[in-house]
Amino acid sequence: MSYPPQQPYGQSPYGQQPPHPQQPYSAQQYQQSYQPTQPGIPMPPMPPAPPTAPTPQPGGNGPVVYDAHSLPVNDNVNPYAFSVDLNGPYYLQKGKMIAYYGDIRFSGIGRGAIDRLLEQNFNSPLHAADWVVAEGRGRLLLADRAFDLNSYDLENGNLTVRSGNLLAFEPTLALKQSIIPGFLTLIGTGKFVAASNGPVHFVEPPIRVDPQALVGWADCPAPCHHYDHSYLHGVIGGIRHLTGLGGASGEEHQFEFIGAGQVLLQSSEKLMAERSVGQVDAEEGVPGGGVPQQPGHGGQQLPNIPGLGNLGDLGRRFGL
Amino acid sequence: MPRGRHDRYIRPVAQFRLQGSRVLAVDMAGDSVKARNGSMVAYTGQMNFKKLTGGGDGLRGMVARRLTGEQMTVMEAKGQGTCYFADQATEVNLVRLNGEALYVEADNLLCTEATLHTGTSFTGLNGMASGNGLFTTKVEGTGWAALTSNGPAIILRVTQGTPLRVDPGAYVAHTGNLSRHLKSGAGWTTLIGEGGGEAMQVEFTGEGLVYVQPSEKATFGGDV
Repeated sequence: MSYPPQQPYGQSPYGQQPPHPQQPYSAQQYQQSYQPTQPGIPMPPMPPAPPTAPTPQPGGNGPVVYDAHSLPVNDNVNPYAFSVDLNGPYYLQKGKMIAYYGDIRFSGIGRGAIDRLLEQNFNSPLHAADWVVAEGRGRLLLADRAFDLNSYDLENGNLTVRSGNLLAFEPTLALKQSIIPGFLTLIGTGKFVAASNGPVHFVEPPIRVDPQALVGWADCPAPCHHYDHSYLHGVIGGIRHLTGLGGASGEEHQFEFIGAGQVLLQSSEKLMAERSVGQVDAEEGVPGGGVPQQPGHGGQQLPNIPGLGNLGDLGRRFGL
Repeated sequence: MPRGRHDRYIRPVAQFRLQGSRVLAVDMAGDSVKARNGSMVAYTGQMNFKKLTGGGDGLRGMVARRLTGEQMTVMEAKGQGTCYFADQATEVNLVRLNGEALYVEADNLLCTEATLHTGTSFTGLNGMASGNGLFTTKVEGTGWAALTSNGPAIILRVTQGTPLRVDPGAYVAHTGNLSRHLKSGAGWTTLIGEGGGEAMQVEFTGEGLVYVQPSEKATFGGDV
């Protein structure tokens, strides 16, 4: 079997990719699709292989068979499976291994022997429990519910990713909980694998994105919420907001990114199940830290009752 | 077409091809195929569909399937034209058999040529512990079989000296002279919730091919 491997299945799911008969993962195409603007930002995922392999037909060559040596080295087997050439420890989320060759041992994190290694990579023991160390030598295949997988190279950079999307990472990277709840940040130099629903797109800020399409971001200093409040203006808008009459487009709320960096978007609005990122200490000033919210200014705040409109917010809305 | 003494035994053979990666198209000229019940999505020409009782393995097979729990409702499609099969937008993989046996989970078998014989095969306690059931479906003969997988299946070769270990939820099928053993990575740490997440693995040794899918079914061993 030769590398790059041909696709064992029918046509590529991304029919719009230009045909590239010789080298599906060529450096040239890689460069064309991505021009780095500054050091330290992540490399984009490999473009999926164009449809080179003909459909296995009766009498044809048949599908590609991989063995322990022809599996790609730290690269995608197809858009949905990633092959790791394991030599040493590697962190992966529980249950993402589908097959392996060689002598590989999986152990839960939190055992004594690897505790020291752990110190460099995890900061919270609670979320370390969701991870597994693969140790040994061999080829390891990773996949996650047939979602698209991509590997990313960080070079002395940082990237924040939705907790459910991160699959595996090299131990040269440190995994930290983001201040933003539900997100994890990877810091350092190394490779990691993340899943997305559909191929990932890299866009540069300033940009506003749909919350469900956001996979992560790199280097952006200011991720914040953005609401289109124009539809709330005036009396009619107020009534509309309070009663729901007239409807809403469902796109009034976005995430806004400002600053230098890259924003990663997936091509669908289907979210992956979130993983626990670990608890944060109940401490004042820590978002999501379990500290009760400040009462609204003006004193007492009524509970928000869905269906009746946010009467509790009424005072604040009219500046009372 | 060669003409000879055996001419009357030469029968039209159904042509299997992929229409995209998620639809199987079978061109038929009066012959029949066995397909999972309800998997037809469209057809051209004249087709008749008949439900086969007991997985189409005859009375003995029916009893075996009832007993083993490797349930498979199968229909026979027969006629002239092209028939299209699909199952919940899963990827279709074509497998050519030349006399060897294909072992496949009943959930993953979409369609077989009429020349192929299907039956049940005992996998031992390994299958049960891995959540795949005690029995698996065995397809034998010469012809085409179509498997479905959640995401395109990856075909991995197993040779002497390079055994393969597979997560039970990602296993789809295997061919060749392989023996499967259950490997347990579970220890006392699994019991206290600090397990490695891959407590159950199926080890394949020998010579053959294993089909794995890039996703995992919910199995007993999947999240331990």
